[in-house]
Amino acid sequence: MTLLAVDSLHRSFGSLVAVDDVSFEIEPGEVVGMIGPNGAGKTTTFNCVSGVLDSDAGTVTFDGEDVTNVPAYELARNGLVRTFQQTRELSTMTVEANVLLPTPAHPGERAWHAITRSEASQQREREAREQAMELLDVFDIRSKADEYAGTLSGGQRKLLELARALMLDPTMLMLDEPFAGVNPTLTTELVAHLESLNDDGLTLLIIEHELETLTDLVDRLIVLTDGRVLASGTPAEVTSNEEVIDAYLGN
Amino acid sequence: MALPLAQELIFGLVIGSYIALGAIGFTLVYGLVNMINFAHGEFITIGAFVGYLAVVFGGVSLPVALVVALGVAAVTGWAIARLTFEPMNDAGAVPLLLMSIGLGLVLRNGMRAIAGPDRRNVPVAVTTYRFDDLGFFVTSNQLFIIGVTLFVVLVLHLFLSRTMVGISMRATADNERLALVSGIDTRQIRNAVWLAASGLAGVAGVMLAVSQSANPSVGFGQLLLIITAAILGGAGSPYGAVAGSYLLGVGIAVSVAFLPADIVALSSTMAFAILIVVLLVRPGGIANTEVRTS
Amino acid sequence: MSRLELPAIDATRAGLVLFVASIAFLYSPIFIRPPSGTFVFLELAVLFLLYALILIGLNLQFGHTGLVNFGPVAFFAVGGYAAAILTANDPYRAVGLGFAWPVGLVAGVLAAVALGVLLGFSTLKLRDDFLAIVTLAVAEIIHGLTITFRDITGGSIGLQNVPRPIADMTGGGGGAELFATIVVLGSVCLLAYGVFHRLSASPYGRVLRAIRADEQVTETLGKRVFRYKLVVFIYGAAIGGLAGALLVFYNGAASASFFTIDVTVIVWIGMLIGGAGSDRGVLGGLALIMGFQLLTRFFNDLLPFVTQDQFASIRLVLVGLLLMLVVKYRPEGIWGTAEELEVES
Repeated sequence: MTLLAVDSLHRSFGSLVAVDDVSFEIEPGEVVGMIGPNGAGKTTTFNCVSGVLDSDAGTVTFDGEDVTNVPAYELARNGLVRTFQQTRELSTMTVEANVLLPTPAHPGERAWHAITRSEASQQREREAREQAMELLDVFDIRSKADEYAGTLSGGQRKLLELARALMLDPTMLMLDEPFAGVNPTLTTELVAHLESLNDDGLTLLIIEHELETLTDLVDRLIVLTDGRVLASGTPAEVTSNEEVIDAYLGN
Repeated sequence: MALPLAQELIFGLVIGSYIALGAIGFTLVYGLVNMINFAHGEFITIGAFVGYLAVVFGGVSLPVALVVALGVAAVTGWAIARLTFEPMNDAGAVPLLLMSIGLGLVLRNGMRAIAGPDRRNVPVAVTTYRFDDLGFFVTSNQLFIIGVTLFVVLVLHLFLSRTMVGISMRATADNERLALVSGIDTRQIRNAVWLAASGLAGVAGVMLAVSQSANPSVGFGQLLLIITAAILGGAGSPYGAVAGSYLLGVGIAVSVAFLPADIVALSSTMAFAILIVVLLVRPGGIANTEVRTS
Repeated sequence: MSRLELPAIDATRAGLVLFVASIAFLYSPIFIRPPSGTFVFLELAVLFLLYALILIGLNLQFGHTGLVNFGPVAFFAVGGYAAAILTANDPYRAVGLGFAWPVGLVAGVLAAVALGVLLGFSTLKLRDDFLAIVTLAVAEIIHGLTITFRDITGGSIGLQNVPRPIADMTGGGGGAELFATIVVLGSVCLLAYGVFHRLSASPYGRVLRAIRADEQVTETLGKRVFRYKLVVFIYGAAIGGLAGALLVFYNGAASASFFTIDVTVIVWIGMLIGGAGSDRGVLGGLALIMGFQLLTRFFNDLLPFVTQDQFASIRLVLVGLLLMLVVKYRPEGIWGTAEELEVES
């Protein structure tokens, strides 16, 4: 069954049409790349799908449910998690707090449990901390757990963001330019992490500006230009597509 | 035959005039320096006192006093802004807001400590023109206030549309980053904004000194009305601020005329209520600027 | 920040114990009468405890969640007037319904909560600085209404003959009343501090600080941001309303002069000096600013050539200067953490 289905999505800002008519589907376990020149509507599509922006028209179906314009927090809880183009670590909080924050169904986030310091809340916090530490281990930033996230290097922030998203135990991860501004070594590392996550069954949708990084990683590419899907297919198909070459070279 | 509302309209235009002069400056600062300046009222008060001193001790005529106040307030306001706000330009909206509150406290109470709380009237000869058939009167003061404001708005329009600095200002208000890369000197623009905003505030101060009195809280008393007018017109838009001010001024004058005396004291309260309603229903004001988080 | 291990003395428990003890003290025939020379300090201490209650709520709103509430006095006033109107017996030219004081206390809190719900629902989507303006305007509106509708509120004269439960229960006159009031309010304050500190030090507080840092990210990590903001706004409103009700029951009167913008200025400056977000620090900041005001009061007596009005102005100049210096040179306050507030100092 299709995991994510986007049908005729439309969104404009005043007279500027950012997403004109975008439709695509993603199957469970796939790694899909979304490419296109600047202003093609990739991020706006992401924003509409993830509930950060309301779309003007069209539908989004996730895991068999209509989630069009469902608030972002609800999507995140239901397994559709996204990251942002510029790394948005919560720099005023520690690395550990960043990763603990998304902990789903945490009783301690309700006032009564917080005030009474209920056993349920403390239990959940212990579990969450264990999970968080494991994740920080995986991404090799455990030694930074007690530091403010603002002190991390650019690459470490990317890793932190990924670890944080994984706390929600997502079915599908939407990454907005995860390799932007990342050095080649770390890119390789990130790709390895993503591949291993995908091996464990995580579905990935990745926006990327440059094709090179994506072609090895993804099963399929979706090309956007001017708010529309120009082409879709395997990296080989897409890179040999005349229209795509025109769109890229013409830019 | 008495013209209905003619008298209220005149009162409203007068109130709208000094709100407008305050609101233009406030909104320019908001749009170009990205801060809400709670000390803007004190710039008005400075103008009121300078105008008072010029007329009473300098013995100059009102128009001359107006020019003196414009100059003194412009330079003073600019210098104060350079000392206080400009060094922390990147700190964000809330720290700048807090800074301006502190500055407002210092200036307002500093003037009060020196001048005392008294209300000082500016002695000017007033001629009243009566139009009894039409049911209204108008004084030379009122005509002067409305006239000066219209003149200032005209000059402002020419400045914003015909001069390099003015055009750059509008460009910067639209998109600061774009303005920066297209080679506009934003520092120069900020200087111009502070000079213009506090100068206009000074003019508003003289008018308030003439129509009410010069006292340490004369400007502060107008602040929420000014903010209301600026938001009504779409925060950051000088033309909107003028429109918002006259709308507010006439609104206040008409409501004073038609509401029972008890409620009249509420007119400024109602202005704040209008402010809230505008922010909630149409937060962008007439020009629809973005004030919501997402 | 989210440490789960319990500190040696837990403020919530200590507050509860002290509160029970203070009630027992009220009902007992014992009283302690401090010397009259201390009254000026004790009266200030009462005011400090009331402002501290407002500040505890405000710090949760601004310090932890980043909500710029410039109208805490509005909730203080609404709580105070609701309590006074419901309980006053034959007030001078105002409405007094003569209910027992517990009714007034509950009504004071509920009225403030109602205002909080109304205001929160309508304004919490606005940007920071506009939220500041709206809350400030609401406070001014409330102040304007209390003066305009003087048939109900007594205008600037105020509402008299409000019950004074603590004074009534204490034998021994003026000083003993003050002492008992401080004991009761002190325990209420400690309890409130404990409860709010537990909130801020828990996973709940973690969500609040995440909202302050980045609302959108917090939302995409599965948190109902608006709900949290609304609830935090309401908690602050409730405790502000409680402080207002306690004030009128201490004074036996409500008057517009108790609820001016000065209250907002003092608690805000106290919070900024102490360090927004530091639960203990903000109370220290409030103590500093109120102590400073007391100190300058004595200076006035030493400078006979300065009039009282001038002196009041100079004091406010100094308060303003202090605010400017803190915002510029120590934006994290004395006890705050620069990294948590994302400021450079």
